[in-house]
Amino acid sequence: MACHASSFPQLGRCCYNAMERRERMTQHRDFPMTRRRALLAGGLAATVAWSGARPAIAAAPAPESSPGGGIAIVMNSVSASVSIIDMATRKLLREVPLLREPHHWALSPDATELWVGDASGNALFALSPTTGSLLGHRLLSDPYQLWVSPDGQKLVVNALRLNHIDVYDAATLSLIRRFHESSMPSHLAYAPDSSMVYSTLQGNEHVVAIDLVKNRVVWRARVGPAPAGIVWHRDRLLVALMNAEDVVMLDPVDGSVIRRIHTGRGAHIIMISPDRRLLYVGNRLAGTIDALDAETLRPLLRYTLTGGPDCIAFAPDGKLWITRRFADSLAVMDPGTGELALVSTGRSPHGLFLSPMLTLLAENGRAALGTASL
Amino acid sequence: MIDPFMALAGRLQTGIVLPLLYRLDLMQWEDIAFGWSLFAVYGLFQVLVTWSISMPLEALYPVERWPGRRVVFTDMLYTLIARVGLLPLVTFVLFYQVQVQVDGFLVDHGWIPPMLERLIPPLFGHPVLTFVAYAVILDFADYWRHRISHIIPAWYSLHALHHAQRQMTFWSDDRNHLLDDFISALWFGLIALLIGISPFQFPLLVLLLRFIESLSHANTRVSFGWLGERLIVSPRFHRAHHALPAAGRESCNYGAVFPWWDMLFGTADFSPVFGPTGDAEAPEALATGGYFAQQAAGIKSLVASFRRARKEPAGSSSAGIRG
Repeated sequence: MACHASSFPQLGRCCYNAMERRERMTQHRDFPMTRRRALLAGGLAATVAWSGARPAIAAAPAPESSPGGGIAIVMNSVSASVSIIDMATRKLLREVPLLREPHHWALSPDATELWVGDASGNALFALSPTTGSLLGHRLLSDPYQLWVSPDGQKLVVNALRLNHIDVYDAATLSLIRRFHESSMPSHLAYAPDSSMVYSTLQGNEHVVAIDLVKNRVVWRARVGPAPAGIVWHRDRLLVALMNAEDVVMLDPVDGSVIRRIHTGRGAHIIMISPDRRLLYVGNRLAGTIDALDAETLRPLLRYTLTGGPDCIAFAPDGKLWITRRFADSLAVMDPGTGELALVSTGRSPHGLFLSPMLTLLAENGRAALGTASL
Repeated sequence: MIDPFMALAGRLQTGIVLPLLYRLDLMQWEDIAFGWSLFAVYGLFQVLVTWSISMPLEALYPVERWPGRRVVFTDMLYTLIARVGLLPLVTFVLFYQVQVQVDGFLVDHGWIPPMLERLIPPLFGHPVLTFVAYAVILDFADYWRHRISHIIPAWYSLHALHHAQRQMTFWSDDRNHLLDDFISALWFGLIALLIGISPFQFPLLVLLLRFIESLSHANTRVSFGWLGERLIVSPRFHRAHHALPAAGRESCNYGAVFPWWDMLFGTADFSPVFGPTGDAEAPEALATGGYFAQQAAGIKSLVASFRRARKEPAGSSSAGIRG
């Protein structure tokens, strides 16, 4: 059946047409979301609307503007909500209910929307990155981890539960290609030129490399037990191994392990500091955060943080905001002193976005966000 | 504000579950395992709350007094296995991969399992209301699962384990044959495909529903009055379902939480009677055997039921309605 003209471009493969059609139908019936042209004003502060005949979602009342110090948006995977926190006072402003299980986020190519993946809710939510107000949502299969490519062209979504990696056109959110990758695609990183994406396969000790130009798998390499966090770092890939005490360095050409860096039990996530001088590794089981020298990868400092440290975000004042997955809170840590302040969140906080990251993004590009992308 | 349950579940997760998974080379499950930690903590709390309320009621207003309570101890074991996590863990291991395969297949063929909020859009943004809607729908589905389990002889041969208890207490709620639990899991797996699953973000509401189910089995002379009996299943209402004359195919009061389905489909019995419970035709091992003896007796009954069905010519009415 030929694809009819619409705001969604034709799909790459027929077998995805049915799903896309269904998504389109559902979307048009219940949750229309014609995007108004984004208006850039004052760097990346922008307005965008997913409008329609009726509001897509009865969103919680939201302030027109965000607090002066910015807001933190925390994805609570068990309470199925996002917490909006005033970064200056560290008080909860409000909690916005989503569907079932929000985990991670990505900024839209124009950075006007914060896309939050609701994995078992099979939905992608759009929030305002400056106020946290809900803009709308659409169907998407099991969006666990997601990130937009450095050139802003592609959105890659890892479906941890359903074992596939989806490549979408980031502008239209139409599915380009699905890669069935067992098992448990977890975190992802792009090559700086956006030609490749690398996903850790948490369930089978592998990393898979996908060519985003030719839409094909280039290599799969066994890297170690339960690979999770992955970053592109100085022409190499770094992968945290959850069932080990190591971060491994991979050659992005073939996935071969070049080097091992000892960190702590349950190495889970790797984040690059905005100045790119440090790498922070969260060790889930050890309850520690290791700071590594970005040049030598030598451990410099170790911070203790119980409660299952997870995602890390960098605030403009130099502090690290870290979700504590099993402790209903996030920690605000001064890396100079190791001093911690705890902020209450919803249940099982996971992904974390700080609105001042938009400024970092505007000034330094996506590399400054410190996440899997470069 | 610190949620004490989450705090306890977090400690269980970081102190026991994660080290265990790490040792077993299973850290890839650490995220998903947290769901089990939560389940175990809330399950334990469910048991404590149910015990602390039902125990005094059974002591102060008992329907029956028994010389010994040995058979009740077996029911306690069922409860702990079901509520504190062993059974959900096994079910999870059995079902997770199946669910992944089924959901993955459906998604690839254009079917993203719908959710109640998508079927009824006004529910979006109202999670508590959504939960209540789920509770009503799932209770309706459970009414029919339960009713059919009485109608099909082979199925009832397993379900008879639940009915065989003559010393019914609040511990009896989870007294089920493993195969019966397995069929229930399949049943609700199908429902999950049709309307999504009930969110786990309201553990206290789940606790309340489970409490109603447990309390309805209590050995206590408690009813909720004319109106209350028609709103929520009471110990009196459910006792009528477990009464000796109601065992087997022609039973009444199948509802677990809401009596509305029985009222709607003509199976409600609101007579103010607190009769003896049990199933006179069930093998004695189902009533008084230990855990494993009851499970074995259930299998035997199932096999016998199949044999009887084979011997009986098709279309003949069965005098013995039991499985």
